[in-house]
Amino acid sequence: MTLRLRWSSLSLPLLLLLWGWVMVWSTASGRLDLLLRSVYHPVVAVGGGLLILIGLLQLRLLLRRKRAGQVSQTLPRGWWLTALVALAIIVFPPQPSFNDLASSRPSSLPEAPRLAFVLPPEQRTLTEWVRLLRTQPDPSLHAGAPVSISGFVLKRPGEPAQLARLMVRCCLADATPSGLPVLWPEGFDPKPDTWLEVKGKMVTQEHDGALRNVLEPSSLKVIPRPDRPLEP
Amino acid sequence: MARLATAWAIFQGLLLESLPFLLLGVTIAALARWLVPQAAWVRRLPRHPLLAPVVGALLGFALPACECGNVPVARRLLASGAPLGTGFGFLFAAPVLNPIVLASTWAAFPDQPWLLFARPLGAFVIAIALSALLGLMGERALLEPALLEERRLTQPLAEVGLLERGSGVLGAAPIPISPRPSSQSISLSDVLLHSGREFLGLLVLLVLGCALAAAVQSWLPRAWLLAVGSAPTLSVLALMLLALVVSVCSSVDAFLALGFAAQVTPGALLAFLLLGPVVDLKLAGLFTVLLRPKAIAVTALAASLLVLLIGQWVNLVQL
Repeated sequence: MTLRLRWSSLSLPLLLLLWGWVMVWSTASGRLDLLLRSVYHPVVAVGGGLLILIGLLQLRLLLRRKRAGQVSQTLPRGWWLTALVALAIIVFPPQPSFNDLASSRPSSLPEAPRLAFVLPPEQRTLTEWVRLLRTQPDPSLHAGAPVSISGFVLKRPGEPAQLARLMVRCCLADATPSGLPVLWPEGFDPKPDTWLEVKGKMVTQEHDGALRNVLEPSSLKVIPRPDRPLEP
Repeated sequence: MARLATAWAIFQGLLLESLPFLLLGVTIAALARWLVPQAAWVRRLPRHPLLAPVVGALLGFALPACECGNVPVARRLLASGAPLGTGFGFLFAAPVLNPIVLASTWAAFPDQPWLLFARPLGAFVIAIALSALLGLMGERALLEPALLEERRLTQPLAEVGLLERGSGVLGAAPIPISPRPSSQSISLSDVLLHSGREFLGLLVLLVLGCALAAAVQSWLPRAWLLAVGSAPTLSVLALMLLALVVSVCSSVDAFLALGFAAQVTPGALLAFLLLGPVVDLKLAGLFTVLLRPKAIAVTALAASLLVLLIGQWVNLVQL
């Protein structure tokens, strides 16, 4: 009975410490790079630090009250659920399928936070290329331009595979895909979710009766998922 | 299996992004409880049906947080005896009427100045209408029992009666409300314990809301919702449904809306920006610390109807 009372009264500060740890650790371990836009990372870390501080203060308070014989044993309803979720977050890291996420979302690309069109073509990222092609839709302007980009293979049902990136404004919940059509080499089967580094040039291709730009690779290299796969 | 892994990642993203804002709200509520334990000023706020929600909405400028952080502060306001209209005005409009949200709306849509006026104006209209509607239900049918009990401790016996309040002396004159002497003010340790418990209590509900939002997002293709973009009424309904499902914070929803602004009608765009801060799947659980289930249902239905009407009206004017 004494043991149960002690655990139940300790569980409140321990849960706060656990959640504080989850937030700080998610930031420090780089997991947030897969989940949130980078501007929110310090917010999560500071929030976690604050929770740890509150947990430690509560623990100290509890020990002082225990000496005085005033230990409270009331717990919030469902506290065990939050403990399980916190442990699950630590044990099961996020492994989202970008292809699966992007397949169910339309490629509606927000404007760039800053224009980067002055960059030489070979320094543009995939997202910058997609933005450029939307704002300057004349395909002949970009024909022959060198391209060096990376992205994951996005294969929507009934459509040819594209090279794509996900952009987030806040977290994965609002991720929006931006994809570039690619002339895949003969015999190459692009597997969804595979990350590729592609070098080549922009060419034109007729699609639904109109010209469009397509990336023609000269080299394709399978790469591991980048540390920061999401773009702002 | 891939979809389950994606849903788990979306869940983590939503939860970890919301937690700091929830903590901010709980911290502000705790500080208010500690610094002004009796909060007599709260009970002196206007009770006028129009003025009360407006004042509550304007309090949002003191708390630049999204809707998750607003719930604990609104609960503190109501528990301290604030007029219902003020509490609801704050709850429903403050997630829009705060500097961060207004700045992000302007940053996302600098070429659509009408949106910068229409969004806060719409938030005011919704807050006033919802406050008036919920006020008709009466506190007993409206407020969550624990909140009602806490609120009644701050009200004079002349207003709530002995049994309802649960304390007092039979036949005595109404107890005048006066701030406690400083020697009896709430200790920091009590506030810490209370806020820790409140945070964990709200966290349970936030976890459930995020799980629901992540599941629905993962199994409902978003393209279906945006496919009806150009139809005046359907586009408004579709974007309202999207706001419910996506459950992103009001401080960033304008940037998300920017992504599909060109594909939908202006009324649908405004509907998305108005409904999300008032009702979404993530908030469904959090509201249970404030309102009874019937009142939550009334809020969701009335807010949806109002937003639909506003969206339709905007489409009528702009199309």
